[in-house]
Amino acid sequence: MQNDQSTPPVSRRELLRMIGVTAGSAAMYQAMSSLGLAAESPYKGPVDLQGAPRGASILILGAGMAGMTAAYELRNAGYKVQVLEYNGRAGGRNWSLRGGDVYTELGGATQQCGFDQDLYINPGPWRIPYHHAGMMHYAKTLKVPLEPFFQVNYNAYLHSTKAFGGKPQRYRHIKADYQGHVAELLAKATRTQGLDAKVTQEDQEVLLESLRQWGALDKNYAYVASDAGSDRRGYKKNPGGGLTARPIPSEPVALSDILKSGLWQGIPNGDTFDMQTALFQPVGGMGRIGEAFGRELGPLIQYNAKVVDISQDATGVTVSYVDSRTLGARQTARADWCLCTIPLPVLAQIPLNVGPRLAAAIAAVPYASAIKVGLQFKRRFWEEDEQIFGGITYTDLPITNIGYPNSGFQSGGKGVLLGAYIWGLNAMEFTAMPPEERVRKVLDYGSQIHPQYHQEFENGIAVAWHRSPFTMGCFGMWSDSSRAKHYDDLCAIDGRVALAGEHASFLGGWQEGAVTSSLDAIGRLHARAVQQGAQA
Amino acid sequence: MRAQFAWWTAITFVGMGALAYADDSSFTSTAGVGPLNGQQIYEHICQGCHMPGAQGAAGAGFYPKLAGDKKLISWEYVALTVLNGKNGMPPFGLPADQVLQLRTAHLSDQQVADVVNYVRSHFDNKYPATVTAKQVAALPHPESAAGPF
Repeated sequence: MQNDQSTPPVSRRELLRMIGVTAGSAAMYQAMSSLGLAAESPYKGPVDLQGAPRGASILILGAGMAGMTAAYELRNAGYKVQVLEYNGRAGGRNWSLRGGDVYTELGGATQQCGFDQDLYINPGPWRIPYHHAGMMHYAKTLKVPLEPFFQVNYNAYLHSTKAFGGKPQRYRHIKADYQGHVAELLAKATRTQGLDAKVTQEDQEVLLESLRQWGALDKNYAYVASDAGSDRRGYKKNPGGGLTARPIPSEPVALSDILKSGLWQGIPNGDTFDMQTALFQPVGGMGRIGEAFGRELGPLIQYNAKVVDISQDATGVTVSYVDSRTLGARQTARADWCLCTIPLPVLAQIPLNVGPRLAAAIAAVPYASAIKVGLQFKRRFWEEDEQIFGGITYTDLPITNIGYPNSGFQSGGKGVLLGAYIWGLNAMEFTAMPPEERVRKVLDYGSQIHPQYHQEFENGIAVAWHRSPFTMGCFGMWSDSSRAKHYDDLCAIDGRVALAGEHASFLGGWQEGAVTSSLDAIGRLHARAVQQGAQA
Repeated sequence: MRAQFAWWTAITFVGMGALAYADDSSFTSTAGVGPLNGQQIYEHICQGCHMPGAQGAAGAGFYPKLAGDKKLISWEYVALTVLNGKNGMPPFGLPADQVLQLRTAHLSDQQVADVVNYVRSHFDNKYPATVTAKQVAALPHPESAAGPF
């Protein structure tokens, strides 16, 4: 740290203030977030559960990522494992909808997925960051092949209905031009001593050169139509070969237009820790992981089992369940221990004898509203007409995201887009519509970005997570205050029962949260089982 | 088509501040629900879970059927549930600038009164629709999502 009185360094606070002045408070907030807080997976490699007491048993409620991670590890450690699952399939929110699949939501609306072979959407999670080491480990262990997920596509769009006449802008234009203009401004400030001499003379020279390179400025530190700028944002006419090859530079968008548009807010979409390259998706759909887990566990999973009562006593846990399709006679299962991964809105309604602190925690977590809509089109016009191969377009329309398929490029055939990924108030309103109206609305909105929509559309399917019979919401939403009050209680073992799932993690909605919370919980349950086994 | 989406054209951009959640976008709206009456609020928001006709639904868990629900005799119970949420149900009484962290929406005290009145006087419920914004304002609202830090 320098301490030269004539040239004091830029303080962190002043740097933030400067970002705030140039880019508005939201950019400042993002800068602040990136300086401090990122939640890395605590996954530490395969869990060590040696020394399981002979004959010890565990009942696992829910065959999602958390439940099946636990079932797999505890089975391998020698426990007697039984899993009860409400759905007729393994995976929970790890799920892909493919042609022929039938989905009935709460309220009875039934949709049949009309996608062609090999086309799908992931109604739930759709990406695995490289540092979600638990998910990466199980995909590898289960031999589920992965392929790249493009979080950032420089040729996809940022779109505002209120800017540029509603015309979507290429990400590369907004990013290159914002960066170029900001670099030019900061270079100007540096050269006119505008930094209040808080950067040393020596550093200023390096800073200037770095700004020139970072912002693609010319030799006068100006961001103008140039080869350097076009090398970032793309040319008006791209370089090629032969006599028609000569490139023509493109004209940058004015800084004021970018600032007013708000599109600069979309620039850091791939900069957050969770969204940084590389990200992956399982070949054939996220659901391949849940399916592989289900095959691996085989008869350990009892499907179509709706849990109606959980009761623990001094020696074990008894769970009552009925067939989720017929709601017939009660059956019971019993084990020494219970790992419960049932989503909290459901669990809060099941009789369960735990202490008041855990009970309060279970009731304290509202679940996010979210919608995903898949649309099948006759041709991959986003590739053929607009050269968008994978990645995501962001918009201020209620559809929020358009996700392009990250596989099957140039197949010449049909394609399925994620036509919407919505949350908050807009998601609530879409949830309140019948599924076919959701699809219709998504088509109407999306056609403002891709006018080909109506002509090329074939069929669609809409999943509203608050209508999901097995979760009643998308994922647990913790406020800072509720986390301070309830989170530790939610994760603590209560007698012979422990909870796990993304709701018991700092990775809300991420599968890695489910996996790591599960490993954490079974590690503690195992320690308790070993201790009791030693006493017995 | 109804005019229900008109206010979306007035959406404001808000930078996302949430940490580590699995959804992503720089662009989302914290604009309120706009000038909706009680029936419109029910049809745009509540019926997503409580269903058209307030019939409720059951799967692994259930959404209560509000039609003919005896608990509705207490307007305070209904209003407190709307304001603070219950179990997985999001709270709707947070200030507008705090809804993002919980991905929920803000209803004004008047709108809470309106939707409480609507539900208590429809769907076979025959209670008087006399709850006022002032009465709602006097009820406990959810504590700040950001906590006392």
